[in-house]
Order: sequence, then C-alpha cells, then structure tokens
Amino acid sequence: MTILSPSAASGPLTVSGAPVPIAASSTLVNQLSVKPRLGQWSKVLIGGPNLGNDESNAMAVLYPVPFGGQADAFVVQDQGGQNTIDLSQIYVYATIPGDTPMVQAFEYKNL
Amino acid sequence: MNRRELFQKALGAGAAVVAAGVLRGQSSSFNGPAGGSRGSTLVTILTGPFDTSSYPNGVRPLTDAPQFATYVRIQVNPGQQGKIAIGSSAMANTTGKAADSAFLELWPNWNGSTDSGRSDTFILSDPEWNNTINLADIYVWPEFAGEAPIVTAFQLA
Repeated sequence: MTILSPSAASGPLTVSGAPVPIAASSTLVNQLSVKPRLGQWSKVLIGGPNLGNDESNAMAVLYPVPFGGQADAFVVQDQGGQNTIDLSQIYVYATIPGDTPMVQAFEYKNL
Repeated sequence: MNRRELFQKALGAGAAVVAAGVLRGQSSSFNGPAGGSRGSTLVTILTGPFDTSSYPNGVRPLTDAPQFATYVRIQVNPGQQGKIAIGSSAMANTTGKAADSAFLELWPNWNGSTDSGRSDTFILSDPEWNNTINLADIYVWPEFAGEAPIVTAFQLA
C-alpha cells in the first residue's frame, strides 16, 4: 500500500556560509516546505544549484521571524501524486551562518 | 529441473512473498482503510484539543496504531502560550529538545495580537485525496506541558 510519509531529510537544515542542498544525493519527494526557524534572524533564500548568496537566481526569499509570528514559507507539491521533487536540486541559504531553516518534506512510500 | 520448472518455482516463491504482504496488511496492524485507498465518504477521525501530557517527553503520535488519512490539520490553540513542534519519529526518539528534531514549529497565538489574530496552522493533504497520510508517523510536542493544539483529520472511508 502507498503512504505519504515524512522524509528523512526533514528537520532543521544547518546552513554555514554558503547555499546547501537539502539532500546530498538524489532524493525524490512529493511535498516540500521551507520556513525560517522561529526566533532566528536570517533571511532564507531558496533556489536551485545556481543560487547565489546575493539572492541571484533565488526562487524565494523568506523574511525572518525573530520576534515571533507565523513564519514565511516556500511550499511546493506535486499535484499529480508522484515523488517528483528532487531535494538534491533545491538549495537553501541563510544569511547568518549556523542558522537552521526548517525543512518539511513528505514522500510516497510503498509498504 | 528444466527452465520451465525453474520459472514456475520462481513464480511460486514470488506469490508467497505477495501473500505474506497481504497477510500483514490484514492482520489488524492498522485501523480503518488501507494506505492509498480512496473511499466515497469523508469521515472525521480526529478532532479537538490533542493532549500529549501522558506520553514520554510530551511527544505523542497523532494515533498510536497506523491510520491513514487524506487530510490532517494541526492548529495552535488560541490563548495558549507555547510553540507547537511537529515532526517524525525522530522527534520521539530524541534525547535533547524535541523541537530541534522537528520539521516544523507553529507560533503561539496567546492574545491575538500578531498576524491579525490568525492561528499558525500545519495542513497536509494528499493531492489526489487518497488515504496516504499515516497519522502514526506524525508527532506533536507542545513547548509548554499540558497545552493542547487543535487536531483535525479526515479519511475517505
């Protein structure tokens, strides 16, 4: 049977000084959300492998939530119900090294 | 054994594996319809404040036994003061702060003063409305013990 399950790539993603891919190797998922971590001060950039830390080629620029409130988010999901989003091709950059944007990803698995 | 007999033997072994899989699915290892199914009636399977206080470290899965939903919604409870962390089983197994293993944190809405009073909310649905979301795979941790987010889940039964 097919279930939609949290990906092992989910969780706080440590970004230290340069854009990093969400997964080191090809990892296909159905749904992805990236948010700044509550209380942190980084702007968060989302892009592909050519993402620059100057916002060049950014798909999204998320404002931080240092004082609380609902975090801005980049969300994408395959509406056809397939694992088509490759986490190794999605890069994240935080403007303050060491900050940890929150990555949420769900993938279809067959049990 | 000729090639035909060998092929039949291999097919037989494959069928045994399939049968074992079917038996596992029918052995009450989950509640309600199987994962990936799609019924014709939307049924509410979770509602109301979700109390995690009796679980280790205050981290509780949405259901103890696997149950497959097509839609799940977790909302901070207006008036409560702590963040709500949502994660996978990694959050249940952590020895440190649960939120450091979460994949999402919801901001509290203690007096309606931020975001025009809207409560931060996590929503996940299957894009084709199949029952694919295993509620037992999603864990919740309120920052303040005793606080309870509002949880809703639907299943097509």
